[in-house]
Amino acid sequence: MSRTPSELLQGTVDILILRALAWEPMHGYAISRWLDARSNGVLAVDGAALYQALHRLEERRLVSASWGTSENNRKAKYYTLTAAGRSRLRAESAVWRTYAEAVTKVLKPA
Amino acid sequence: MTRPRPSFRFPWRSRADIAREVDAELAFHLDMRVRELVAGGMNADDARRAAAAEFGDLEGTRAYCRAADARSARATRAADRLTEWRQDARYAVRTMRRSPTFSAISLLTLALAIGANTAIFSVVRAVLLRPLPYADTGRLVVVTESWPFDPGTHAPLSPPDYVDYRAQQHAFTDLGAYSTAMGPVVWQPAGADPTTLTGISADAHLFRVLGVEAALGRTFDDDMGGDSSSVVISSGFWQRALGSDPRAVGRRLVLNGRSMTVIGVMPRGFVLDRTEDVYLPLDIRDDLARPETTRKQHWLLVIGRLRAGVSLEAGRADLAVVAHRLAVEYPAADSGRNAIATPLHQRATGNLRTPLLLLQAAAAIVLLIACANLMNLTLSRTIGRRQELALRAALGAGRGRIIRQLLTESLLLSVAGGALGVALAIAATRALLAINPGTLPPLFAVGVDRQVLGFSVLVSVAAGALFGLIPALHAMGAGVNDALKEGGRGANATRSGAGVRRVLVTAQVARAVMLLVGAGLLTRSFTGLTRVRLGFEPEHVVTAQLRVSGPRYDSIPMTNAFYDAVLGEVARAPAVIAAGAATILPTQGSVSTSMRIEGQPVDESRLPDMAYVAIRGHYLEAMRIPLLAGRRFDVSDTPDGPKRVLVNETAARRYFRDGDAVGTRIRIGPNPNGEWMTIVGVVGDVRSAGLDQPPVPTLYVDHAQEAWSHTLSVVMRASDARAAIDALRRAVKDVDPSLPLRNIEPMADVVGASLAARRFALGLAGSFAGLALVLATLGIYGVLAYEVSTRTREFGVRLALGATPASVVALVARRGLAWSIVGLALGIAGAVAGARLLAGALYGVGPLDVTTYALVAAGSLLVVTVASVVPAHRATRVDPLSSMRSE
Repeated sequence: MSRTPSELLQGTVDILILRALAWEPMHGYAISRWLDARSNGVLAVDGAALYQALHRLEERRLVSASWGTSENNRKAKYYTLTAAGRSRLRAESAVWRTYAEAVTKVLKPA
Repeated sequence: MTRPRPSFRFPWRSRADIAREVDAELAFHLDMRVRELVAGGMNADDARRAAAAEFGDLEGTRAYCRAADARSARATRAADRLTEWRQDARYAVRTMRRSPTFSAISLLTLALAIGANTAIFSVVRAVLLRPLPYADTGRLVVVTESWPFDPGTHAPLSPPDYVDYRAQQHAFTDLGAYSTAMGPVVWQPAGADPTTLTGISADAHLFRVLGVEAALGRTFDDDMGGDSSSVVISSGFWQRALGSDPRAVGRRLVLNGRSMTVIGVMPRGFVLDRTEDVYLPLDIRDDLARPETTRKQHWLLVIGRLRAGVSLEAGRADLAVVAHRLAVEYPAADSGRNAIATPLHQRATGNLRTPLLLLQAAAAIVLLIACANLMNLTLSRTIGRRQELALRAALGAGRGRIIRQLLTESLLLSVAGGALGVALAIAATRALLAINPGTLPPLFAVGVDRQVLGFSVLVSVAAGALFGLIPALHAMGAGVNDALKEGGRGANATRSGAGVRRVLVTAQVARAVMLLVGAGLLTRSFTGLTRVRLGFEPEHVVTAQLRVSGPRYDSIPMTNAFYDAVLGEVARAPAVIAAGAATILPTQGSVSTSMRIEGQPVDESRLPDMAYVAIRGHYLEAMRIPLLAGRRFDVSDTPDGPKRVLVNETAARRYFRDGDAVGTRIRIGPNPNGEWMTIVGVVGDVRSAGLDQPPVPTLYVDHAQEAWSHTLSVVMRASDARAAIDALRRAVKDVDPSLPLRNIEPMADVVGASLAARRFALGLAGSFAGLALVLATLGIYGVLAYEVSTRTREFGVRLALGATPASVVALVARRGLAWSIVGLALGIAGAVAGARLLAGALYGVGPLDVTTYALVAAGSLLVVTVASVVPAHRATRVDPLSSMRSE
């Protein structure tokens, strides 16, 4: 498993989390596993950044949290995307895509 | 991954809850990672270390998450509160809409009660609470002298006494003097008609004592003639007449025929006596040059400023020392006199304080009655709504929540009522002051400002809490289960709260009776005053003030010639029946002088004090003041001939033996060697000082012989008032077009003006009492009507079993009457105790006037009987069958 040495930007972590929750509610650990798997380990987010982002998003009412039972029968805090979070995800994804395409175009060897 | 089972979460988390949750969440993450690493073959210790290292800054994250959660918990809490409150408010509005009659009655009641309180408070604030427009007013005192051997009295100071007090006292930083006795000032603007201004003469000391600087320019600084052609103007005059000219200082104004230079403009809000326009220099050098005469002429109003650290008592003692010295030195003028210092604020508000506080108390009583009414209504309603409330409780609303809900309804009502009330108060205050100008000294600016508004908000919220809380607590006190089981209007609903309601109704009647007695006593005083024998006939008499000014009237013959020419001209007008003039009109007060009677021993220190009026033309005939003996003035009384004088009946009776007055010679004024004047007639008494003051001994002199005033009030008895005034205008214009007429008004209005303050107070007290009675009646009616509606079934049964309608009426009405009679008795007792406070405001009736009490008792009884019988009568209309089926 290789990890990117570069620090991911705060805003980027936020949008990744929102994307992770788009399908179903998850607890923090599941989110980190999901990100790892989806990006083949490229976009690994460390725990500190992940949890700070989660609580920040909760404060901004983009996600909501409730305690539930995890797959191995332990109490875990689950996060759900709120309506506001979902529309934020849509907007941010569009921005990201445009940005990424532009960067790719620029970096493409002539 | 399974979907989380949402577990119950308290909406409001404590700080400790938050810390625990954050710790648990982070521990879960680390545990999961360790497990995974161990599953991959790592030993436990290494796995823990690796997981921690991968995680990053654990402690920082912990702190960050806790802070974020605390913030969001706070936001949630606030949002929840807001939502709940909005729900409550929305619910309250819906409830109010569902019972529009209740809401309308409540709103109206509250608006009237809060409006009354706001209106009175705005006056109380202006008069009693707002500081006067001077610097550090707490140390300002008014200095007056008593009349000789009459310690309770207050007289202005004489110029020599004033100067002596000023020089010899030690307790004050300074004393200053002013006078309002100069009469109107005639201003001749360039190229325009002359107008009259109100003016005050003041000395340089006065402005320093008050501690007020001119806003532009300066005030007087030289009493020795240096400022003799200077004038200081008020801010109002500066704005109105000079268009707020920034270069007003240095402008010249022609005042009373002399050219004066404006040296200063006073700041906005500065007022000495009334809304004066100009301040002229007070020049007493002539008076000080002949103190043997002028020491007895008391006309200076004096204000002093106590030195820092000197108490009022010390100041008084200091003045007393000087007074004693003066009495020894000038026994003829000053023996038996003392000087008194009264705090300026007390002096300014003196006779307003008690009536205002009484009115505020009356308004408060009205508010209490209103609250009691609303409490009753709300109580009845909450009891009617017990099923609804019980349902809400069963569905999970907490006790606190339901109480809050009920309180929200009351508060919403009271705040809405308060807002209406404030609007009402603003309108009412304006209207009242417009109808009754001159009721309050203009020194006090009445208006609704922030403090008054704050008061109203406070009163509204307090009222809402008062009439909302008790019913709310009461509703919650009765068990929820009972209410659900009971199914609404059972017997319990009637019983519960009945005690509270009975007490409330009784208290309401008691308070209304107290107010009614107060208003009744004031009304009887007022009607007594309007029936006072005036001694003259104000009907068909018009008056106008006419002042001569300018150098051409410095000689007495010129002044006489002017007035005689005008009166002669007016008398020829067909509309005028008789025309004359006097220095002062009845009910406007009096100027006094002393009298020595030929052949009677003279006690210099106790000369008779006589009101003193100079008249001209057919004044007595125009006023229809009867001649009782001798003759009136006539053409034989020439300015240079022997001096003649008339006395009134009271003077003739008090100072002369029967029928002796005519023909006796007297000397008037302070000069013991003055010219003898012969009494030629006795005329009827007149209420000169005011309707509520008995006639005082009065001297009438002929203005031709004693032309001591430049201002006369012309009095015309006329068949057509307008034609008479036109004739007067023409006459003045013919004789001297530079002189203006002012204060044109029917004599009846002059008399009425002396009653203005009383009419104002009576109007307010009367409306409060009326309001109180209406509210109390509504209260009784409401409670009985509610009772009847809850006992429909019982009445149905009674009627079905053969009770006569009359017996059912009696059954219901008896209750209402019983409470009312208890209230009536309590109210009468309260009134007996409280009426003493009114004693000062009464005329011709005692505070325990039996007629008033009897009338109030009878009237209230009648009203409460009607309020009790009407709902009782409704009880008899019950159809026995349907009433029993209804449940």
